[in-house]
Parts: sequence; structure tokens; C-alpha cells
Amino acid sequence: MGSKMESPDNELVMACRNGNLRNFQILVERYKKPVYYFALGMIGNADDALDISQEAFINAYKSLSRFDDSRQFKSWLFAIAANLCKNALRAAAVRRKYLGSDGVIDIGAVNAADPEKCLITKEKKEAVWKALSEIDEEAREIIILKHFQDMSYKEIAEVLDIPAGSVMSRLHYARLKLKNALGEDCR
Amino acid sequence: MNCQEAMIYISGRIDGELTTEQEKMLDEHLQTCPRCRKELDELLKLKEVTSNMRFTDLPDKYWAGYWHAIYDRLERGLGWILLSIGAIILAALGTWEIFRHFFLDPVQPILLKLAIGSGLLGLIILIISVLRERLFARKHERYEEVER
Repeated sequence: MGSKMESPDNELVMACRNGNLRNFQILVERYKKPVYYFALGMIGNADDALDISQEAFINAYKSLSRFDDSRQFKSWLFAIAANLCKNALRAAAVRRKYLGSDGVIDIGAVNAADPEKCLITKEKKEAVWKALSEIDEEAREIIILKHFQDMSYKEIAEVLDIPAGSVMSRLHYARLKLKNALGEDCR
Repeated sequence: MNCQEAMIYISGRIDGELTTEQEKMLDEHLQTCPRCRKELDELLKLKEVTSNMRFTDLPDKYWAGYWHAIYDRLERGLGWILLSIGAIILAALGTWEIFRHFFLDPVQPILLKLAIGSGLLGLIILIISVLRERLFARKHERYEEVER
């Protein structure tokens, strides 16, 4: 497996199609954390996020024969995870409530050299997470993909299945919503 | 360029996704528009905060067992498929045997055959209906994302 650790995603997908589960394990190891953190940002609950992220890999494996090679595996995987998150939120029948930063956002330790600044940053992080949990799931989704997954506009367009040219404006409106939810905390 | 266009380009700038031409157009607008400059400052601050935010990591034991959990679920899925195929074959064979030994037996009363036949037919219709409903739900919700 060692030499394959650096193989491109789509090469591993091709090998998986031939029934080689070891190659799929490499893809899982490569993306388990990003997919989990994405689900955690969307759902706000560690147990559910873990379950959804694993289910995303299972669904991806079962559907590998339908994977379009011209796409990036990462974007396709995130699209699956995004839809599972939305289904889970809808199945819960209630919009996600603010769960607090405990267990979701790592607020970080206070820097002894500048505790005041650290405290302000902590408060801001909490305020941003609270605002994120209050905006609609579509706005939250694109903000998490950009701000927390650091995806390019091209990758975001693939995940959301929208034209690449729409990503900038979608992000703008999502950020407006986040800014409004933040209120004075944004300044 | 008006403010509405500039606001959208501001998002592009903070993400480093503007073309040289778009950068130039935005710069020209920002020189004359304090409102958009303020917007740019606020969004840069917001990006700075989020870039320092990290989700809390899971304990190592979860990451260590992550692949095994997926493998187990995939294996279980295969187990269910094989079990279902076996059950379907057994049910079909059983139905044929019942048909052969009961319904084709001239000694059995017609009324009894009708009653049992009706009950079995109802059961088959119910099973097909539930299966169809499940398959429809699965196709239109659970695996919708895979088509994208």
C-alpha cells in the first residue's frame, strides 16, 4: 500500500472499481478528517458527524461505478456528504439549534503573553460559530467549504453542482447573512 | 462598477479568485467608495477570525477505528444482500411447494384453497408495495447525491 499512498485520487478510484478495497482505504484515510469536520460544521454534533462521514464513504464506494472520471473525487465525496447532512437535518425535522462551542469549536488556550487579545479572539470565535449555526444551511454549507475547508471556487462549484461563475456571488450573499447574524460582533 | 458589483468582487478578492482585470476594476471603485472599503475591512476581519478557528478533534481511538467501522458496515451490507437473495429463493421454492401439494391437490376443499390463496396473494401485494416504497424513498432521498 505504501507506494500508492501518494497516488492521485482518480487513479485509486479506477483501482477500486476492480474490487481493490485497499485503494479505497487510502482514499478514506486521505479524506476522513476533512469530511468529518465538514459534517461537524453542518450538523454541530460529533456523533452524528462521525456517522454521516462514514456513511458518505460507504455511499461513495457503492456508487463508484457511476463516478464520472472527469470530476474530482474529493468534490464528489463532499457532494455526497453535503446531501447526507441536509437529509439528516431535514429528518430531524427541526433546524439545528446553537449547541455552544463545547465539543465543536476548539477555542484554544489563552496565550499568557497577550491574554486580553486571546480573550477577544475567543469571544469572536464563539460569536462566529453561534452566527453560523443561525444562518440557513445553504449559506452555512458554502461558508464552511470556503472558510474551513479552504476549497477553490472550482471545487465549490463541483460540490454544489452550480456554475463556477455563481460561486462568488453565492459566497457574497452567504457572508452577508453571516455578517448580519454576527451584528456588532463583526466589527 | 457599482457598489453591488463591487461587493461581490470583494468576496472574490479576499479569496484570491479575481482576475487581474477584475482586481483593477475593484481598486478603481474602492478609491472612491468608503462604504465598500469598510465592507472589505469587515470581511477581511471575519476571514481572519475563521482562519484561526478549528473544530475540536476527535480522540485518537475514533480515527484509529474509522476504517474498520466503514469496512464492517460494507461487509454487513454484503451479508444482508446475500441473506435477502437466500430468503427470496427459499420463499419462491416454498410457494411452489405449497402450490404443488395444496392447490393442485383435488382432495382439498375449494373454499379453503380460495381463502388461503387470497391471504397469500394479499401478503405478496403488501410485501411488493413496501419494497417499492422503500426503493422509491432510497432513490429520491438517500442516494440522490450520488447522481450529482
